[in-house]
Amino acid sequence: MATFRFQRIPSASSGVAFAARAAAILLALAVAGLILAATGADPLDLGWQVISASFSSSFGLEDLALLVTPLILTGLSVAVAQQIGAWNIGAEGQFYAGAFGAAVVGLFVPGPPAFILPAMFAAGLLGGALWILIPTLARAYANVNELITTLLLNFVAILLVFYVSTSVWRDRTANSATPRMSAEIPEFWGSVHWGLPIAVLVAVAVGLCLAFSRWGYEVRLVGSNPSAAKYAGIPVRRHLIAVMLLSGAIAGLAGMLEVAGTVHRLQGGISNNYGYLGIMVAVLARSSAIGVIFSAALMAFILNSGIILQTQGLTTSAVLAITGLILFLTAIGDELAHYRITRDKA
Amino acid sequence: MDLLTGLFTTAFLAGGVLALAALGEVLAERVGVVNLGVEGLMAMGALTAIATVAAVPSPSIGFLAALAVGALFGMVFAFATVILRANQVLCGLALTLMGSGLASTIGRAYSGMPARAVFPGVEVPILSTLPVLGKAFFSQNILVYLIYIILPVGLSILMFRTRHGLNLRAVGENPAAADAAGIPVTLIRFAYVTAGSALAAGAGAYLTLTFVPSWSDGVVAGRGWIAVALVIFAGYRPIPAVLSGLLFGFITALGFVGQARGWPVAPAFLSMLPYLGTVAFIIVPVLAFQRMRRIMAAPAALGLPYYRDVR
Repeated sequence: MATFRFQRIPSASSGVAFAARAAAILLALAVAGLILAATGADPLDLGWQVISASFSSSFGLEDLALLVTPLILTGLSVAVAQQIGAWNIGAEGQFYAGAFGAAVVGLFVPGPPAFILPAMFAAGLLGGALWILIPTLARAYANVNELITTLLLNFVAILLVFYVSTSVWRDRTANSATPRMSAEIPEFWGSVHWGLPIAVLVAVAVGLCLAFSRWGYEVRLVGSNPSAAKYAGIPVRRHLIAVMLLSGAIAGLAGMLEVAGTVHRLQGGISNNYGYLGIMVAVLARSSAIGVIFSAALMAFILNSGIILQTQGLTTSAVLAITGLILFLTAIGDELAHYRITRDKA
Repeated sequence: MDLLTGLFTTAFLAGGVLALAALGEVLAERVGVVNLGVEGLMAMGALTAIATVAAVPSPSIGFLAALAVGALFGMVFAFATVILRANQVLCGLALTLMGSGLASTIGRAYSGMPARAVFPGVEVPILSTLPVLGKAFFSQNILVYLIYIILPVGLSILMFRTRHGLNLRAVGENPAAADAAGIPVTLIRFAYVTAGSALAAGAGAYLTLTFVPSWSDGVVAGRGWIAVALVIFAGYRPIPAVLSGLLFGFITALGFVGQARGWPVAPAFLSMLPYLGTVAFIIVPVLAFQRMRRIMAAPAALGLPYYRDVR
């Protein structure tokens, strides 16, 4: 009689992991639909509303494109840190810090846009990198868990931006935002600005560097086996610092693009949870820099659905809950993807 | 009330939230499971408590309901991480997103609602007449005594003075050896993760039944993450965990006193204090006391799933 048993293999096959992700998303959406149905709504009708609002008009597609841009970058930020084995849960805070840096330049430095925009770009990168500096050094020199330090600084950044936009830099006409900045990233399609191609380019460039450069090889080696990397003479600490600062800078860039391209003001709650959703984007992409582009598109659709359904009583916090469910099921699926069924003849 | 008494009273009250959540996290981490879902569990607990006392005006029932909801979520988390052995960091983050998201979605119906019943203060005879501590500690609600005295002392004895405590620590240090010695690794992990999650939700209920006492979106405000950090700072021990909760209660109280007395610092900066303080407190001790590292070290198998059949 033949008996079946489960055998755990060291690495999951990417096909099964991909299928697990698809199953996790469908299952989470089904659960969300069931809950909606239980509250008396018609989930199929709502689903149809979402799809027609997202794809049947250019406005819907423009909205999606505007949501994809920051999600690509925050997802990339988390994914890059993952490549070297670090958890950057602080993309939310670095996003705010980048937005803050860009706003300092945009609000207070006079000059033509051709000068201001690059300066804002640099300030955004710098803001994000500075925000992750202390967690980075603490991890590199004292082995302090970066997951918690990066996360706690989110709250500080959110409070800082909330403070400046509601008091010292407040626009007298707007209630809780700074004045509109004159330097704007030009738009190329409806309300979609050049931030989108920039985000895609950054993701592709980082992906190519990680896959094909010597630096990228060393970073991936440190990520998969730090002690082997150290033994092979790779400067582990230097790579760790560089990658974490890069991760922060990318999230900061997302904040800069949001300020200079989409919102044009600094305000509390500017990030829409992009930093936290970035974790989801990176996990769905299995920390691949190129994959982030696609999973960001998917996440943008889910977030946009939540925004469309706000009129139906749904909130962005419901989206966060559904995201959590997808993440939970994905984590389980990833583990189950490590198993194969073997058959022994007895 | 004079400044000192006010400061101590708020410190004990505010610190209780962090202390209870940190105690729960100590339970989970001591058996080798990192539970990053504390923030979400606290949100669910806070909401459950408010919703329950809105229906049944009894704070004890509200608190127990929160414990039950926390245990339920904890079992789901433990099923994924202990039995299916899925990634603990991802499942924890997922739990935080689910808990926080769900609580604010359901909580919209309770927005701004004050708790219909709160835990009243209990004056301990004789001790409550002490100069500062009498008002600040010995006149507090019953949960404060539970959090600062009964739970930490009880858990400390359980963990460090009993055979069962030795077993549960062995599960966190070396599950393979514990398994070989006949200790039920999976059962112990499952039970303590569930109990820890219940305490985290209890911390949320404490927040809305004594400290804040009302529900508003984002009421937990990162306290769950501070609690996770405090466990590291406390070296994974119950009594230091409670004391560090109290320390952060002081930092929070300092911010309140500052606002009440109109110190020339913007409230936003005073609100940053607990977060910045936590970052400082988990970095500085590592740098300052190299020798403390061994005593304060994390359980050796922390975060690692245990596979009996894979070597």
